[in-house]
Amino acid sequence: MTNLPLLSLLIGLPLLGALVLGLGQLKEQARSIAIGLSTLQLVLLVYIYSAFDTTSGLFQFNETHNWFSISLGSMGQFMSKYTLGVDGLSISLLLLTGLITWVALWNSTDIKEKIGGYYALVLLLNASIMGCFMAKDLFLFYVFFEFMLLPMYFLIGIWGGPRRNYASLKFFIYTLVGSLLILIVMLGMGVAYVDPYETALLNGLIRPEQGFNVEALKTVQQLIQSQELATSSLVHSFDMQALADYNNCQITSILHISSGWQLAGMSAREWGFWLLFIGFAIKLPMVPLHTWLPDAHVEAPTPISVLLAGVLLKIGAYGWLRITIPFFQAEAIESANILAGLGALSIVYGAYNALAMTDLKKLVAYSSVSHMGFVLIGIAAFTAEGWQGAIFQTISHGVLSALLFLMVGVLYSRTGNREIDSYSGLVTLMPRFTVISGIAIFASLGLPGFSGFIGEFFSLMGAFTSSFVHPGIAVFGALGLLLGAGYLLWTFQKIYLGKPYLKNADWSLPDLTKLELLSLFGLGIISILLGVYPGLLFELSDKFVTGLLK
Amino acid sequence: MGLNLLFLGVLLLPWASALLVALFPKPLFSISLSAVFSIAALYFCTTAPVDFKIAYPWFNLGGQSLNASFWANASAQLVLGLVALVSFCVQLFSKSYLKDDHSIGRYYVYLHLFVGSMTLLLLTDSILIFYGAWELVGACSYLLISFWHQKTAAIQAAKKAFLINRLGDIALLFGLIALGLHFNTWQFSAMHGIAPALIGIAIIAGGMAKSAQFPLMSWLPDAMEGPTPASALIHAATMVAAGVFVGVRVFDITGPETHLFMGIIGAISFLAGAVFAIFQNDIKKTLAYSTISQLGLMWMGMGSDASLFHLLTHGIFKAGLFLAAGAVIHTVHSQSLNDMGGLRKKAPIAALAYLIFGAGLMGLPLTGGFYSKENIAGYLYTSGHVELLVVLALGMVLTSFYISRQFYLIFMGPLKEGSPKKDFSLETPIRLLIIASFFIWISVNPLEMHENTLISIYHIPSFWLYITAATWVLGIAGAYVTRNWIPAGNYQFLPRFWPSLFRFIRWKSRSAQVFETQFIDRFVNGIAALQVIVAHLSAWFDRHIVDGILVGGGAGLSASTGRILSRWQSAKVQSYWAMIIVTFALFLLYALFIK
Repeated sequence: MTNLPLLSLLIGLPLLGALVLGLGQLKEQARSIAIGLSTLQLVLLVYIYSAFDTTSGLFQFNETHNWFSISLGSMGQFMSKYTLGVDGLSISLLLLTGLITWVALWNSTDIKEKIGGYYALVLLLNASIMGCFMAKDLFLFYVFFEFMLLPMYFLIGIWGGPRRNYASLKFFIYTLVGSLLILIVMLGMGVAYVDPYETALLNGLIRPEQGFNVEALKTVQQLIQSQELATSSLVHSFDMQALADYNNCQITSILHISSGWQLAGMSAREWGFWLLFIGFAIKLPMVPLHTWLPDAHVEAPTPISVLLAGVLLKIGAYGWLRITIPFFQAEAIESANILAGLGALSIVYGAYNALAMTDLKKLVAYSSVSHMGFVLIGIAAFTAEGWQGAIFQTISHGVLSALLFLMVGVLYSRTGNREIDSYSGLVTLMPRFTVISGIAIFASLGLPGFSGFIGEFFSLMGAFTSSFVHPGIAVFGALGLLLGAGYLLWTFQKIYLGKPYLKNADWSLPDLTKLELLSLFGLGIISILLGVYPGLLFELSDKFVTGLLK
Repeated sequence: MGLNLLFLGVLLLPWASALLVALFPKPLFSISLSAVFSIAALYFCTTAPVDFKIAYPWFNLGGQSLNASFWANASAQLVLGLVALVSFCVQLFSKSYLKDDHSIGRYYVYLHLFVGSMTLLLLTDSILIFYGAWELVGACSYLLISFWHQKTAAIQAAKKAFLINRLGDIALLFGLIALGLHFNTWQFSAMHGIAPALIGIAIIAGGMAKSAQFPLMSWLPDAMEGPTPASALIHAATMVAAGVFVGVRVFDITGPETHLFMGIIGAISFLAGAVFAIFQNDIKKTLAYSTISQLGLMWMGMGSDASLFHLLTHGIFKAGLFLAAGAVIHTVHSQSLNDMGGLRKKAPIAALAYLIFGAGLMGLPLTGGFYSKENIAGYLYTSGHVELLVVLALGMVLTSFYISRQFYLIFMGPLKEGSPKKDFSLETPIRLLIIASFFIWISVNPLEMHENTLISIYHIPSFWLYITAATWVLGIAGAYVTRNWIPAGNYQFLPRFWPSLFRFIRWKSRSAQVFETQFIDRFVNGIAALQVIVAHLSAWFDRHIVDGILVGGGAGLSASTGRILSRWQSAKVQSYWAMIIVTFALFLLYALFIK
């Protein structure tokens, strides 16, 4: 089994499915094919998880193939590789993606039109997200990142609600702007940085079978820094590891610290940091770049909302931890207070907006903004607690937001109405649904014993104990705990407790179906499991965090 | 090894019970599980050494390992014993109290969850778990208050309780993290020295909400919307005492400023609670205000062993009072004192219980309450807070007054209505608590306590005993004298004799109550309303400004750019020619002159 290109399979399986479903006219079998492939993918993921070595901080299950290389004449060579790998940061996100896709596919029973296309697009989305989380080459990452837009655009635009055109276009443009910012930095860095390994190979400093060690790396970097190698013999690449090492930066480039280049009072490195930061902040989404999210969520069908909140938003956090922070760590630390402040703002502002919503789905969407703010405040801490908390919160929110959106979907699929005022006293009509919704709501407001608590606690604690962040910011962010409890309990009380009332007496509200029960209950169990034994996740990302902190 | 296993059992049994009862919702099953827990917990408390510590590996974070560590010191063991005893009595009592309720299974699940969280809170040594358990007991309180979910008042009260507690939780959260940072350890047992005053005050402020102390007290009377036995367990005996327990936990590592802060807040609550208790005509609300008052008394002990001791005795007699009140409510089907009277013959056990537990509340000799109250006085005397001693004496008069008044109104005088039933399980738990509150458990000498290893004794000169006796006489006599003049809920007795005094007292008590229920409540409601207004403003802002500028502005910009650019594409050959010529001319100019 180890000889198989496992990671390529993770992308290939859904891609194959998308191809088959997209080309073939399979209506009846579409659902089972999609779920079957997703199950297979999940099995593969579980195998990878069980074989994953948590004591190593390196990438595992690596796959590398040369992709293309262009000669730039006097500037040397440009090359990009198809390299995949899994490390402590991506393994948990991969598992989350596999799981949430699987759940979303199961809960797609309300999709009745153009079934083949729908499942094909979901699989396509899954493939590109998987690729995003595994790519070790920035160019490859960018390709997957951009590609994600396409299926999402159509999924909202075709199967969405009444304002789907507006919402899908808004989503598309917002995300496109974000990826443009990333593209600018990517190209700039590709030119400025040198890939030491490939350069050494090209110049005959090492032989291919020799491998690369720290000594050799240092030698090459010294050669780069002292400009002893002719520029025409340099190899540029988009390898993330090479880009994350400042010693690979050419002394003549504007991204070098000695360059006096400035634009609007900011150096090139600062520009690079902020562009990358904002590029991913749109995805997270961070206030004030979040307004595409409520629209997209409200218009998207339930399983797509689940995917959007459960997985897609996580790429923003992943991008920061994988790209923005390692590439520009010094700049990030300098702006730690601003980052934490933006995080706290997202928490409080998102919570306030959630409090004002009358549409249940919008409320959940704004709660996503609020909860993802904890991720930013944790990242800004630059402490092990903060980063672990941020990663934990990312995964935890993936599970809990899926749970909440499924909860909204249960009501919406029965009545076609999402207004909070339309319901009251559901506990007498749907007792099982109330129990599970209660669990979802208490888990989301950060009750101990559930995963949300661990994520929020360690994010806040990281920020509070950080030497880069003013503790007042963490205290301000903690207001979100109070507001969160406010809007969630208010919702719970309005919809579930009290005297039974339905706006339309004709509505029939049967209690949960087996499928709904299992999905909701399963996600709830995962949240409790992570909340009681957070080591499950901390252990995975431990080496990644300590490696990044150094 | 056996002890460790027993400990694990005590820790996990309530959670397992909750799960089992959720699957098999039978009251008797739940009561037996509760009995097993109580016996195990009491056995553990009697056999474990006073400094029992144990740690289980939990997880690693950033290279350091966080253990799930536990520390059953003397105070934790004593309170655990109280929880075990009271929770069993409440389980037993609930069976007949809620026998007509079809969702009694859910109620029992909540009770087990609460006991599990409370046990965790008492036994843990880790700051993280302590904070977690602290929030969990609050959530259980939410669930139990809103148990009758069709009562609007109940769900409002539950939400209010949870939110006010969350407010305190935030102070506690940062207080605890700062405490951990200051001592560079996440375990209470490893902290030595004195933490800065600000940290201590933050932690105590966290306890303020949980113990319903001034000014965060208004949620507790509202919380009486929940079932009475649950009120006995969590809103009288144990959960609200968590605020005192946290003070006890940090007593040795906080300085005099923190202690004084705690004492002053306690003193205000002690008096305010007692005054409000006098003017209630709802039997449960009287007891709720009495709980606030008594918790204030514990806070006046400033977290010392005196606080802890009063926590224990109060836990027993207040739970007893609540259960007796529950029996009375069950008998007359009303919570209003106006519907009660002369019940001593019809509900003798309840009357006896009220008498004994009321004596405990007053701190009459032969009850546990006597020693604990003396101990607090002793602590205040030895630590030099004489001004608080005066408050204590004043509060004791009020306490004696309101509890004797209540006793007269409920049990003495002519019988009003109702046909009480004999119910074994309503009375057995009350009997158990009567035995527990008996003085012999604490000392054989009714006026002086033995030295012991668990709780330190603070002595006070004998002059205090005369003052104490005077407060009893004043309180009881006052209540006796005014007994016939006070139709409950109606204070018309005074204006007949002394109108100006009546107006003054009414104004005073009203303004105090206005301050409490109107001002503070309004304030809290106002803040909540303000939040909602801010929320709507920010939603508007989000829709029109953030979205407007980013989306509308972006779209407008591209549209106008497009409009301008599209003018150039006029499809007239002449204009294209003109553009080509101009461009070429500019290019030529550049090449010739500038380069």
